[in-house]
Amino acid sequence: MNCMRLGNNIAKLLGVIKTYNLTFQECDPLQAVFAKHMCPNILKVHSRLLADIMIHFPTSQEEVTLSVTPMKVCFRSYAEEDADFSKTMLTEIQLNPDEFDYFQVGVDSEVTFCLKELRGLLAFSEATHGPVSIHFDVSGRPVAFSIEDMVLEASFILATLSDIDNGTASQEPLCCSRIPESSKAFMDKSENSSMDKDGNAEAAASKRPRQNENEHNTEPAAPASPVAKRNTCNSGNILKDLEGTAMPETDGQAVLEAESRESQYHKFQFLFFGAVSPKKDAISHTSHSLATASDTEEDFGNMQSSQVL
Amino acid sequence: MRFRAKIVDLACLNNFSRVVNTIARLAKTCTLRLTADKLYFILCDKVANGGVSMWCELCQGNFFDEFQMEGVAADHNEIYLELTPENLSRALKTAQSAKAVKIKLTNKHCPCLKVSVELPSLSSSSRIVTHDIPVKVIPRRLWNDFREPRVPDFDVSIYLPALKTMKSVVERMKNLSHSIVIEANLNGEMNLKIETDLVSVTTHFKNLGNPPWASEDGCQSSAQDRDLESMAEARIDIKKLQQLLAGQQVNPTKALCNIVSKRIVHFILLHEDVSLQYFIPALA
Repeated sequence: MNCMRLGNNIAKLLGVIKTYNLTFQECDPLQAVFAKHMCPNILKVHSRLLADIMIHFPTSQEEVTLSVTPMKVCFRSYAEEDADFSKTMLTEIQLNPDEFDYFQVGVDSEVTFCLKELRGLLAFSEATHGPVSIHFDVSGRPVAFSIEDMVLEASFILATLSDIDNGTASQEPLCCSRIPESSKAFMDKSENSSMDKDGNAEAAASKRPRQNENEHNTEPAAPASPVAKRNTCNSGNILKDLEGTAMPETDGQAVLEAESRESQYHKFQFLFFGAVSPKKDAISHTSHSLATASDTEEDFGNMQSSQVL
Repeated sequence: MRFRAKIVDLACLNNFSRVVNTIARLAKTCTLRLTADKLYFILCDKVANGGVSMWCELCQGNFFDEFQMEGVAADHNEIYLELTPENLSRALKTAQSAKAVKIKLTNKHCPCLKVSVELPSLSSSSRIVTHDIPVKVIPRRLWNDFREPRVPDFDVSIYLPALKTMKSVVERMKNLSHSIVIEANLNGEMNLKIETDLVSVTTHFKNLGNPPWASEDGCQSSAQDRDLESMAEARIDIKKLQQLLAGQQVNPTKALCNIVSKRIVHFILLHEDVSLQYFIPALA
């Protein structure tokens, strides 16, 4: 068995011992390289305030637009151009720059990003009680939400919808796996299955239907777990696209984007990762990771270990 | 056609939110009728609604600090709008601590009710949350569809038992059956009955009291001559009844129902500033 096990014994009051065997996959960390310090717009605000703002949007709201000028900040629900306005309720929240702990607007901009992902961040940040920093630029450039704590630093980098008129080149359909999240989900499921039967957690895991809808199926018969599968499918695309397209390689600003689950948002991509240690020399590491990831198709066991948040 | 209204009092805002929440639970889409003095939430008895109809009436003065409206024409100074009450309910939900709520009829891309909530904030100026709720303006030629329903020629009229009790009984019965029989007599007795292949359950209520209806030209004589013990009954969709009861967030001042045997049950729930009438037809 190629997967490692993490065992947990919990002694209960009545003398019952519950054992959890968590399996996880060691996998290649792919890191986004995004120079936050080069963003002209920086907002810092307590996560509580952000949560208080997002509560006004319905839970079904997919995307929001953050619009800033030096005088005001506005969050509003985003509706596609062909949306039926006679059926959609639109919400807009206007804030004064005073409400932010730090407010810097170098360029008036409107960025549209996925609210659902942000909600995930906000839920996470409740535990840290720290401020959330928002670094962004003009539409089409990514937006980074970061939390810093004594023990961790987390950055969520979301792609933003680009203005069609501008025709920016940042929408390369590169794919990479959302490793921490998928591993986490993988672990949750395996925990259940190994509780039921002591046997092959991997067999149980490979039955999981968790697949990125946009992928083409590579090897359904392979013993690889869904996580590994995602790696292989995506790496294939990465190699294909690296050949054909020119990556925007401003120094320190390579951006990786992953295809979103929702297939209707072809332009709309995002990447999620959590960092445990603030290693900032990831630039060269990135291309190395991309190359290595493509090898995992055959070489399951040689995947590098990663620290999962 | 213009409409603008403002609420600054928190208690009034909460009351209004509660009314809208109740309506949202009863109807997916309904008609909002605005006159100079009143607001009405109306649902007419189309087949799509399962034959239920609703008439909810509010005095605007009890809720709004400012209320200005101009109808479609001078002699028809009213506005009829079709909307999804859930949207309005959602817009008001996060306005719990608002300094002010303004509602305005606008027409940018399409007619909307613009709900502006001014919230307190840490900074000098308030936070403003705006919701644009799409509405459809109902043309005057269709206004006849939305007239106030007449009180039916009922067989029995009786006060309802405590709504909380009735709600828990009906909720449990809902798990067992799709339909429920309401029967009552002029002796203050009401029974809620369900019957399936496996089980039949009846809950009895006594001493409920019967409201005195003033007889108008003897048209209620059928009720007055009635044997006190004789039960009038109707079998209705249990889900509709459950929705009505579940939607009541505050105990009404008066709650009663009029039963037309095997035809329809007419519920009347009266609060201080709101009256709600709900009609559930009997199942075949």
